[in-house]
Amino acid sequence: MRGKVAIVGYGRTPYSRVKPGEPVLTVDEYIAWAADLALQRAGMSKNDFDGQGLAVAHAEAAHTVNWSASVAETLGISPKVLLRADQGGASAAALLIRAAAVIDAGIVDRVLVVGADTPLTIPSVAPGLPLSPERSRGPYWDFQGPFGVMGATAQFALIQRRYQHEYELTDEQLAKIAVVTRYHASLNPGAIYRKPITVEDYLNSRVLSAPLRLFDCVPIVNGGLAYIVTSAKSARTITDRPAYLLGFGEVNNYYHGSRTRPDVTYTGFVKAAPEAFRMAGVEHKDIDLFQPYDDYPFIVVMQIEDCGFCKKGQGGRFVQERNLRFDGDFPLSTDGGQLSGGQPGGAIGGFAPLIEAVTQLRGEAGERQVKDVSITLSLGFGGIPYGRPGRSCAAIILGSEG
Amino acid sequence: MRQSADRKPLPEITDLTRPFWSAAREGKLVMQKCPSCGTIDFFPKPWCLECGKREREWVEVTTRGTVYSYTVTSLVMMNLPGWEKDLPVILCLVDLDDGGRMYAQLVGCPPEEVRIGMRVEAHFEQISDEAGIPKFRPL
Repeated sequence: MRGKVAIVGYGRTPYSRVKPGEPVLTVDEYIAWAADLALQRAGMSKNDFDGQGLAVAHAEAAHTVNWSASVAETLGISPKVLLRADQGGASAAALLIRAAAVIDAGIVDRVLVVGADTPLTIPSVAPGLPLSPERSRGPYWDFQGPFGVMGATAQFALIQRRYQHEYELTDEQLAKIAVVTRYHASLNPGAIYRKPITVEDYLNSRVLSAPLRLFDCVPIVNGGLAYIVTSAKSARTITDRPAYLLGFGEVNNYYHGSRTRPDVTYTGFVKAAPEAFRMAGVEHKDIDLFQPYDDYPFIVVMQIEDCGFCKKGQGGRFVQERNLRFDGDFPLSTDGGQLSGGQPGGAIGGFAPLIEAVTQLRGEAGERQVKDVSITLSLGFGGIPYGRPGRSCAAIILGSEG
Repeated sequence: MRQSADRKPLPEITDLTRPFWSAAREGKLVMQKCPSCGTIDFFPKPWCLECGKREREWVEVTTRGTVYSYTVTSLVMMNLPGWEKDLPVILCLVDLDDGGRMYAQLVGCPPEEVRIGMRVEAHFEQISDEAGIPKFRPL
């Protein structure tokens, strides 16, 4: 599958924190807006996708049994193939893999991939708290809510605590990730929090669920993103700067060790990343830009390790020793990541690591442009299983040469 | 979602999960054990996670376990406001001596004294007419 498809266009709407006076858009409006931006960049029309593919990432606000077909109706597109992913932060990466498969099989030539969510304006069962009816149904909730589990931050705090029990990872190392992503956000007009912060600001930020602090958490936003993937042959007729899919790997519901008592200090990237590297035929030293799924700084550390940039337990030191800035020796999250860029809910945030990689490969990153970038690694990481990190892990290697 | 008078979540009880809630209401901890491979697992599943056999047995397990990890939560997030008066909440992952790992609260312990590896024992609080819930204290 190496080099068989490429991303030829992308779009990201401005994000909204729904401040008073700001227009409140629906998921459908954000999808159309993001798709419009992607189509304009590719010089294509929505009618180019009749008889082709439409892929939709499941949104928390999507209360329907046939969401992808409903999106096709809203957009007035008659696709041959509908793809839908409900893998949370891994959906955007998983949909690229699915799109590549149906294109490589010759079923369609191109797929429009869209995702949007409005987590700040969903109906909530607890006023003032982003707790949707969807999140509070079924055995998964029944064995968490009544036990007092306070959502992702408490769940990931348990993982970080265990990690820090087994390996060395200091607050200053975690702070470095938060500070560098904010610096990158200051260079990205589309990022939601752009005022630079210091290590001290991170250390002084309020502890929410120890050891996790406020500055460990992503700012939730409303927004939409989209990208267009085509066969490599078509890509070259659409743009002179395709971002080719060189390799991918994916694992869902990974257990490290026992299924009932796994080691939670590992993610499924220990399986997914080597697959991606093998397919792409590249090595770690070839990666010019790393776009982790940065919903928390310590997750970045675990992903650096599990993708094989260093050994397990040495991610903290790796972060400390390397220069993570766009002009450094290990650039990461050059868009500000989700930590400072914003996360359009757990369902859609995974578009950002992919779309920033494409932006960089096309040389369109402006002030934060990584010099001579030709190969990138982006991660999608979605869902929180009971007592473990990350239900779905997908690794994507893109390159400027097919 | 059901909630109690003090605005904490109550489980939607099904035939699959009722044995756990009823036993906890009676002060016992039960978990599913696979009659085929012996795996003990939490929370309740429709078949054995290890071998896939649908036959399930509920067995009473020891209420003692070890803290696998913990967090001290000082803000109600993604839950109901009834927890506000309990803050800070010490939430643990507890490995039970007989098998299985569960989210559970630790009480009767100052937050600064919780440790990974701490030995703990469950007691039970009634949360509705039908259900109880285990919480742990240091042994």
